[in-house]
Amino acid sequence: MIEVRELSKHYGERLAINALNFSVKKGEVVGFLGPNGAGKSTTMKIITGYMAPSSGSVTVAGFDVFEDPIEVKRRIGYLPETPPVYHDMYVGDYLRFVANLKGCDRTRLTGLVNSALEKTGLQDVRGRLIGNLSKGFKQRVGLAQALVSDPEILILDEPTVGLDPKQVAEMRQLIRTLKGQHTIVLSTHILPEVQASCDKVIIINSGKIVAENSLEGLSKQMSSGGGHSISVRVRRNQEVIVRGLSSVPGVRATTNMGNFIEVQTDGDETTVERVAGYVVQQGAGLLELRVQALALEDIFIKLTSTETAH
Amino acid sequence: MRAIFTIAWKDLKALLTNPLFYVIGGMCTVLWSYTYMRSLLEFAERSRMFAQPGMDSGPNIQNTVIMAHISLTNLLFIFVLPALTMRLLAEEKRMRTYDLLLTSPITATQIAVGKFFAGWGAAVALAGISLLYPLATRLVVSYPMGPLFSAYLGMILVAGAYVAVGLFASALTESIMLSVVLGLIFNILLWFISQGAGEGHFYTPVVEYLSLGQHFVGFIMGAVKLNSTVFLLSLITLFVFLTQRVVESSRWR
Repeated sequence: MIEVRELSKHYGERLAINALNFSVKKGEVVGFLGPNGAGKSTTMKIITGYMAPSSGSVTVAGFDVFEDPIEVKRRIGYLPETPPVYHDMYVGDYLRFVANLKGCDRTRLTGLVNSALEKTGLQDVRGRLIGNLSKGFKQRVGLAQALVSDPEILILDEPTVGLDPKQVAEMRQLIRTLKGQHTIVLSTHILPEVQASCDKVIIINSGKIVAENSLEGLSKQMSSGGGHSISVRVRRNQEVIVRGLSSVPGVRATTNMGNFIEVQTDGDETTVERVAGYVVQQGAGLLELRVQALALEDIFIKLTSTETAH
Repeated sequence: MRAIFTIAWKDLKALLTNPLFYVIGGMCTVLWSYTYMRSLLEFAERSRMFAQPGMDSGPNIQNTVIMAHISLTNLLFIFVLPALTMRLLAEEKRMRTYDLLLTSPITATQIAVGKFFAGWGAAVALAGISLLYPLATRLVVSYPMGPLFSAYLGMILVAGAYVAVGLFASALTESIMLSVVLGLIFNILLWFISQGAGEGHFYTPVVEYLSLGQHFVGFIMGAVKLNSTVFLLSLITLFVFLTQRVVESSRWR
């Protein structure tokens, strides 16, 4: 659906993004992840035809963004970082204006506006001035604006930024319900967001892609060879267990961390089983045993910090 | 066509429902009412003097009262229209709604033309208010309507030029303040360019021809000249085109 080839953008001397390559398939939900200033917004702006790259190409649904910008824009709904809403317009009027601007079929206009209002839960505020709405509602109006033309592709630039925790949860729920109807690219620097809603993650740092994979694939890729660590909490005999565990096959090292024991293993599931068996067999009173898979957070920090270390 | 209409209609509504329009309209009305009434009373006084037997035909209401009214309106427009047009693009950039326009399936030309028509519409509305004065005078005095309409045709065209200039100023900057000041300076420049024409130089006729004032005077006198109409329309086209270039440039800058 979206093909990005060797995409670069300079702002004067500064290189914002450097030779990006990736593709997004129809119906996928792709999370664009990176620290602030990594080039996420720049990439999204180029895909939407808002600005031109310094070099490289982008095709959306088979149309080149720079040869046929109109055709591309017709297929994209875009929510920028700041929702592009007019403070002196009513919610319903605004959505109708956007639908007109996107060239939607005149006869379907009212239906489209209503369904966008419904999807974003804005029916109750359709007659209110946008300027008087709270930030969370403005954000939702921004999303409704992206949805109103029922586009094939949705590009959401940090859709949950500045929302309160309840609104964040609602926004994620909303994105989940949109899954399957649209191809979605969303950018964020909040990791649970990606875990909550994306099929695929593209991690970008200092203008370069440092990882591109599915969530599971990514954790597998990062943990291969690294093994797992298990944290064990027991009621009694902690010292004895620490010493005893080091002789269990598959365990590489054990450390007494005070209120729990950290066990480094080879990552095999049978090792986990043997560790659990040993603790129970010793009658130490097992309180907790947790396998710490490499979380997205760790992957993210690992990838982005090694990259900046160069 | 539909995109132009969509943008023009939305912006015209925004302009006409904004408090700014009412402040401007209100202040202009105060000024017009004061000056129009005064010149009308003065005209009545002088007409009475000329009505004595043995005098020539008296002063002409067209040349005194109405012409003064139209000149004042034009002067006001130079200052007031940039304040109306300032928001057209600068505000979009400031509020980040520009992103919506630039990522919608519309061309830079449609944006520029739509915005121009919105601004022109608001200017025509303001001109309409000023037209009420001469029309009301017709209730008590009869005078030929022809020159009045040619003058208003000229005024609408000149206002179109101010709007196009203001729109261009608005496209250049994100700051509303700067957009007003730029628009004002451009307008004054267009009006007074003939001051620098001098006399007898090879460039004198060219510079004089470029001045808005020279063309407007023709319309006020009741002459709808083809060259003046073409000049004003070209001026509008030029500045709308320049605006289109600025909007378009945000795609590759």
